[in-house]
Amino acid sequence: MTSGSPRTDPSATPDSARSSNTGRTSNWLLFVTLLREEWRLHTRLFGGWRFALFPVVIAGLSVAASVALLETGTPAERIGRWGHVLALGFGLYSGTAAFAGSDMLENVFGRLSLVLSTSSTLPLSRKRLLSVFLVKDGLFYALVVVLPMAMAAVPFGELSGSTPVTVLGYWLSLSLVFAFGMAVTVALVAVRSRGVPTVAVLGGLGTGAVAAIATGSAGTVRRLLVPLEAATVDALVLGLVTVIVAVGALATYDPTYGTPTRTASDRFARLSDTLPVGDDALVAKTLLDLARSSGGVWKPFVSAGILLALVAALVGVVDAITGIEPAPGVFFGGVLGLSAFTTYNWLTQFDSLEAYLVYPVSVEAVFRAKRTAFVLVGVPTVGVPYLVAVVWFDATAVDAGAGAMILAGYALYYYGLTVYLAGFSPNEFLFDAVRFATFTAGVALPLVPTLVAGFVVVPPSTTVAVGLALAGIGFAIVGYALSSRAGPRWERRLLER
Amino acid sequence: MDAIRVDELCKSYGSVRAVDGMSFGVERGELFGFLGPNGAGKTTTIRSLTGQIRPDSGEITVLGTDPITDPLETRRRVGILPEQGSPPSFLTPREYLEFVGTVRDLEPDRIRENTERWADRLGFQNKLETLHTDLSRGQQQKVMIAQAFVHDPEVVLIDEPLANLDPLVQEQVKRFLVDYAAKGNAVFVSTHNIDVAESICTRVGIVADGAIVAERSLEDGVDDASLLEVFLEHVGDADARDLPATGSIRP
Repeated sequence: MTSGSPRTDPSATPDSARSSNTGRTSNWLLFVTLLREEWRLHTRLFGGWRFALFPVVIAGLSVAASVALLETGTPAERIGRWGHVLALGFGLYSGTAAFAGSDMLENVFGRLSLVLSTSSTLPLSRKRLLSVFLVKDGLFYALVVVLPMAMAAVPFGELSGSTPVTVLGYWLSLSLVFAFGMAVTVALVAVRSRGVPTVAVLGGLGTGAVAAIATGSAGTVRRLLVPLEAATVDALVLGLVTVIVAVGALATYDPTYGTPTRTASDRFARLSDTLPVGDDALVAKTLLDLARSSGGVWKPFVSAGILLALVAALVGVVDAITGIEPAPGVFFGGVLGLSAFTTYNWLTQFDSLEAYLVYPVSVEAVFRAKRTAFVLVGVPTVGVPYLVAVVWFDATAVDAGAGAMILAGYALYYYGLTVYLAGFSPNEFLFDAVRFATFTAGVALPLVPTLVAGFVVVPPSTTVAVGLALAGIGFAIVGYALSSRAGPRWERRLLER
Repeated sequence: MDAIRVDELCKSYGSVRAVDGMSFGVERGELFGFLGPNGAGKTTTIRSLTGQIRPDSGEITVLGTDPITDPLETRRRVGILPEQGSPPSFLTPREYLEFVGTVRDLEPDRIRENTERWADRLGFQNKLETLHTDLSRGQQQKVMIAQAFVHDPEVVLIDEPLANLDPLVQEQVKRFLVDYAAKGNAVFVSTHNIDVAESICTRVGIVADGAIVAERSLEDGVDDASLLEVFLEHVGDADARDLPATGSIRP
């Protein structure tokens, strides 16, 4: 070719430099492609405007919560700290997958990211793809979720020219903690990919937490995890630790790791025969899928346990601020019911409604079976933490009884609400503004007045307890009705897709 | 009376007409090939035949049942092998076939007997206790084939029957399908593989743009033209860009 373009001599550029340039280019290309894929995934799932509105809903909720807390006398610093706890929790969110093992991670990556799976067909290392994928995820969620969360800082002071600076500082601080949470998640996945059992990982975390408390380092950890309040050097330390953990995790990660082939003796028939319910085959399948996926039947307990710990910490914080300790039965009963969402999520994690359409079973029957499985798994999942809470916080018998009714009723209601709104994909609807707002409003409807009652009437009088118990029954009926209508609703959608 | 009868079936997705006036019939004893390029409307037709989606218009009868008004009865009577594999399941193949047999109201003894027979036929006896999610895709496909036949249905609807199977098992499955149809059952095979259609089917319907554009009997051998030639003759330029797979086409 003798065109006007100058002929370049490949040998003129050192291999290392060429390789480096190519690497930078393809990293950028990968980043942009993954980002585009992420955006299209969400807009395709929920529709462009419903997804685009999602950050607006988060921002609105953040501002509203902030105003409400400020109005009830909570200092802005404390709200800011809670925001950091939420950001850390959100960063660790996929950490649940790390605890659960590789099943969910592989499902998520395999199904949702075509680009990420190209490591098997293109000359791209899985580690490199994973690095770019995580950077993309970090930036994407820092913008779509953490930035709207940072709007909670708007009411911290009078609106002025410095408000954007306050929000920006709060956002950067939250983003740093969020990134740290993500890095910890990746580290856990990486350690597991080296064959370290989940129990050992959990044991290591627990030992670390106990050691931090025993050595009096808990305060330092707390300071580091709220960069906004700490000195610049502390924020830099947290940033450095995040980078070290992330890089170390990627170096440790074994992309060739695969769980050994697992076998199992025949439990289906026995379980199916044992279940004293209808749709026993469908229920048995759900229970076996839950029990044999990584993390086993303990997954819902871990989720409920985390919720219990968070709520217990919240009770302590509220008590420290206001000097009011809520009625433990009513308070824990109302909040622990929220674990219905995570329990249902675990029950549908490895299932597809469409797959049942090759059998002679109705969609209604499939949803009915899920509800039975939810009750079977959900009762001990919330029952044990609730008993721990009422004993630990010394609830009166009336309070404990009312709380138990609230717990059972609200859990069924939250379950019905989730199933009705989200069908078999409870996780996906979290990024759909309309459904998320509906779900939030639906949850707030019984929860907010119940929590207020739990704080105002301590311990609850018999009249209040009966009223709350009746509310529990009423919402249980609504939940049952919603979950019963979910079958026909989602069947219609499947048939008309 | 046809085991499967479809008249003027139509189904659109938004502005896209996936199935557009589809009509055909399949008799008992036939192994009917539903041959067409990707996007011709094959999977939409199978889903309509088994009550998995609701067509916009048209009439369907499968073994005297109407999958539009009574999909459960249709699915009870037929066997279905879907195009997409099952989601990751933590049941073993033995348990999965027990699950399918139970929802199909089969007696436990019959489920056990059929499970052993199918495991033996397709060679997954040594995988019966392995979790389904840990099986290779080929092994998973074998289990899915077994579930479609576990209740000995009179009509079987299969979407790409040989996907992920090794050549040896492909031959076994092909022979089995021919024998199964010869026993008086109706086998409906949707495929884009001309070789497969030509080697096992008694009759082939060529699908393009959501309708059958040609039918050809492969039993009498009267027609000298190859199936590929017939296909190319009837499929338009647009569809021809997405030619069905055939072993006879080489770059």
